[in-house]
Amino acid sequence: MTSADVDAALRTEWRKRGVTPAAPIDDARFLRRAYVDIIGTIPPPEKVSTFVADGSKDKRAKLVDELLASPAYAEHWADYWEDELLGQARAADIDRLALRVWLRDRFAKNTPWDKVVTDLVTATGQNGPGGERAQTLAAEEHAIARSSEPVNGAVNYALKYRDAPQDWAGAASKTFLGVQIQCAQCHDHKTEKWTQQDFRKFAACFMRAQTVPLDAPMTKGPHRALVRDIDRPLPRFMKNPDLDDIGRAAPTALDGTPMQGTLRGSVAAWMVKTPWFAEEAVNRMWAHFLGRGFVDPVDDLRPSNPADAPELFDRLARDFAAHGFDLARLVRQIALSEAYALSTATPGEEAARPPVLWSRFRTTPLGPNELLDAEIDATGVDDALRRLGRFDVEAITERLRTLYGFVFDVDEELDRPNYEGTITQALIQLNGRLIAGGSTALPGTAVARIARDPGMTDAQRVEALYLRTLSREPTTEELDGWTKYLADPPPLAPVDDAKDAGTPAPAAPRRKGARGGGDALARATQRIPPTRDPKIAAFEDIMWTLLNSSEFVLNH
Amino acid sequence: MERRNFLKLGAGGFFGALLSRYALADATSLAAPARPAPKAKSIVLLWMNGGPSHLETWDPKPGHANGGPTKAIRTALPGLSIAEHMPHLAAVASKLAVLRGMTSKEGNHQRAQYLMHTGYAPTPTVTHPSLGGWISKELGAPPNGLPAFVSLGGPSFGAGFLGVQNGPFVVQKAGSAPDNTHPETDDARFSRRQALLARAEQRFAQQSGSPMVDDRRAVYARATALMQSKNLPDFDVTSEPQAVRDAYGDTDFGRGCLVARRLVASGVRFVEVVQDGWDTHQNNFERTKNQLGIVDPAMAALIKDLDQHGLLASTLVVWLGDFGRTPRINANDGRDHWPQAWSCALAGAGIKPGVVGATDAGGEKVVGKSFGVPDLLATCAKLAGLDPSKEVLSPIGRPIAVTDGGTPIAEVLA
Repeated sequence: MTSADVDAALRTEWRKRGVTPAAPIDDARFLRRAYVDIIGTIPPPEKVSTFVADGSKDKRAKLVDELLASPAYAEHWADYWEDELLGQARAADIDRLALRVWLRDRFAKNTPWDKVVTDLVTATGQNGPGGERAQTLAAEEHAIARSSEPVNGAVNYALKYRDAPQDWAGAASKTFLGVQIQCAQCHDHKTEKWTQQDFRKFAACFMRAQTVPLDAPMTKGPHRALVRDIDRPLPRFMKNPDLDDIGRAAPTALDGTPMQGTLRGSVAAWMVKTPWFAEEAVNRMWAHFLGRGFVDPVDDLRPSNPADAPELFDRLARDFAAHGFDLARLVRQIALSEAYALSTATPGEEAARPPVLWSRFRTTPLGPNELLDAEIDATGVDDALRRLGRFDVEAITERLRTLYGFVFDVDEELDRPNYEGTITQALIQLNGRLIAGGSTALPGTAVARIARDPGMTDAQRVEALYLRTLSREPTTEELDGWTKYLADPPPLAPVDDAKDAGTPAPAAPRRKGARGGGDALARATQRIPPTRDPKIAAFEDIMWTLLNSSEFVLNH
Repeated sequence: MERRNFLKLGAGGFFGALLSRYALADATSLAAPARPAPKAKSIVLLWMNGGPSHLETWDPKPGHANGGPTKAIRTALPGLSIAEHMPHLAAVASKLAVLRGMTSKEGNHQRAQYLMHTGYAPTPTVTHPSLGGWISKELGAPPNGLPAFVSLGGPSFGAGFLGVQNGPFVVQKAGSAPDNTHPETDDARFSRRQALLARAEQRFAQQSGSPMVDDRRAVYARATALMQSKNLPDFDVTSEPQAVRDAYGDTDFGRGCLVARRLVASGVRFVEVVQDGWDTHQNNFERTKNQLGIVDPAMAALIKDLDQHGLLASTLVVWLGDFGRTPRINANDGRDHWPQAWSCALAGAGIKPGVVGATDAGGEKVVGKSFGVPDLLATCAKLAGLDPSKEVLSPIGRPIAVTDGGTPIAEVLA
């Protein structure tokens, strides 16, 4: 099935529903969408210019291939699945970075999706390299390579559920099959056919994974642990009054197939052969690129929640299964479809009404990692830090990733027409150190380079700022407005020379966990010297405005 | 593009208008259902992260092998003795309801913390709103720019399917201004930037047709309202008299409790203050003593201070942690996780002081009537004027009530 087949099918659906698709977008906007959705950041400014200027007909297809082949593709999808599989779970024996290294390697090789899921569900072995917690993915990879025992990062998924096999059964079914069997954990499902006994029999397949701790309880860093299967439900589960019924149930797949042998192997083999497995993968990818799946929420394929465009959905799922569960191929089919390249607005149509069948593109907020990477790439704040020479920029970035993951956690599972943000998010954008540093003409930042480039006119400088942030050229009106602003920059408040060393950052107390990144950055950018030149300050104002704009923080 | 035009759209105009629109919406949603005036206008949750030992706090067992070296002391409440390292709380015990017959099933920290905050065991189907999230959603933020739900010293739990806007405003370090509430630039430049932004937003809203732009502007307006709120200094305790600050203690938790009192006085609906460090698998007795050296004066000062400010009658104070701890002392002189029987304590909002429920001689099992977490949260919800049985549809269409079938605990309701 090609993108053209997808287009034909959707056009038929649109005709049936009497909707006219929105206008197609231009190349610059397509480029930004493709970068954000495929590799999780915005395009570099020079790429915008070359891509727009490129006259070849297949340039979008070439772009998608190029992005799929880049290391950033694997990293982006490792981020997506780390979040999906572990959520905010933290425990001494969960080594999140080891799972991310494992996932990244799978996406880098475009490992067939059925194989990835089988390996996740059946994983045994050691969770991580042990020792001090690595600060970056590269450090973790290095430690894994040097580990005396082989490491299987996939077992960290099993470790999340070491005390709750019933949750594992429910989560695996929901995440990989879109079947929400877990409702039947406590009672027969109210609207679907699942009974509590169905749930117990399925959950019985997840009762035999045993965790063997390898490190003493007070050890620093992630504790090493070994996951292995035993030939009966874990004795500690059988002593638990909530679990013993599950342990006594005959291990059975959801369609009644009895499960045998190492039960996890049997259940994984069954899962990847169900039609749900391909459907769920297709639905997720479609939702990721187009803002809403065929089925919404993305992991709820129950019959009473019917799909939009069901024939197309079915064809894509069959095609995915028939072509070796090839995710890169699926990305090409979707990213090169007509629907993916439609505008967000249809003139004359009320904007607040949700689009019918992807006839307009849905705006969605950038995810936490996408936003962070976009901000770093747009501002060049990492270069500025490197120039100071005293900081481990990769480690700071990793901690910021944790902070953004916590603060900007967005629900990608559900199509939400509204933007639901928090005060904390807005404050980070308005006043946080990353934006503050990145919109100040400190040596090494993009705004400093551009504002001080003697070879450029003001108009060219504005253009350069737009290309870096919004990945497009400014309109004539915008250009006109900003060049006037720059021609007569507002005066600055007088700087108190006693405090000339700069605005000290608020005291940066030591914090743990999710908040560490902000502190590291606060220390690194502790003194932002005030800009004294009103013209330079005006460029900073432009940069700040662009970074805070909806056009920057939304995928549109 | 003239600067004058920018200024017209500045903080006062554009954001201000949006803000008042939202304030109005809040006011109408509040006025719509005729509720009886709630007893608790605010709730302060003192969250004991890690699981405090019931035997070293509210339910000591001196003389029993399980009791260890912990002694009991008499309190101002006739018939109530509590563990020895809580002398300040003993003195205000006539205001306390101590619930000793609590029981739950979650012995894993994450699951237990979720249960205690939401009234539900975690399930993969739905993320349940925390009580703070429900209260934010149902009662809304005060009109002075402060958030409805604040968590000091820990992340608390979000509002689940009620949306992130009803989640906690997290202040990691209690006692000073929250992060990022002061602009990097001077005020004039900040206003100018806001005006520039308003202009860019207007253009993008027209061009993209996305309703998200307006929603985002509203969130920015709330953030700006907080930055410019005359109540922002409520987060800062340095203006409090030294004697008051001393009473709460020179600790993060003490400062958090003092901030909680200040926020409650300004109409914040739900404040959580976190004291970490209760997971005493090793060296339980020394560690709980140290913990109580922080928590005991702070909580007692909070109760007294609320009372002196005339706020105790309308504020519910809740002391709660993950679970109790194993009555049998382990080989490391520690105690492990024990959800079977544990204690919590309530004060304020017109609750009936006294002891409710009991454990057996060794603190292992509840004897007589036991209460679950949904019952406790239903009690809190009821005091806050929420209908504990009211159901809201979750995203997959399942009706979800404030708690998982809890019944308000009549024994503490006056």
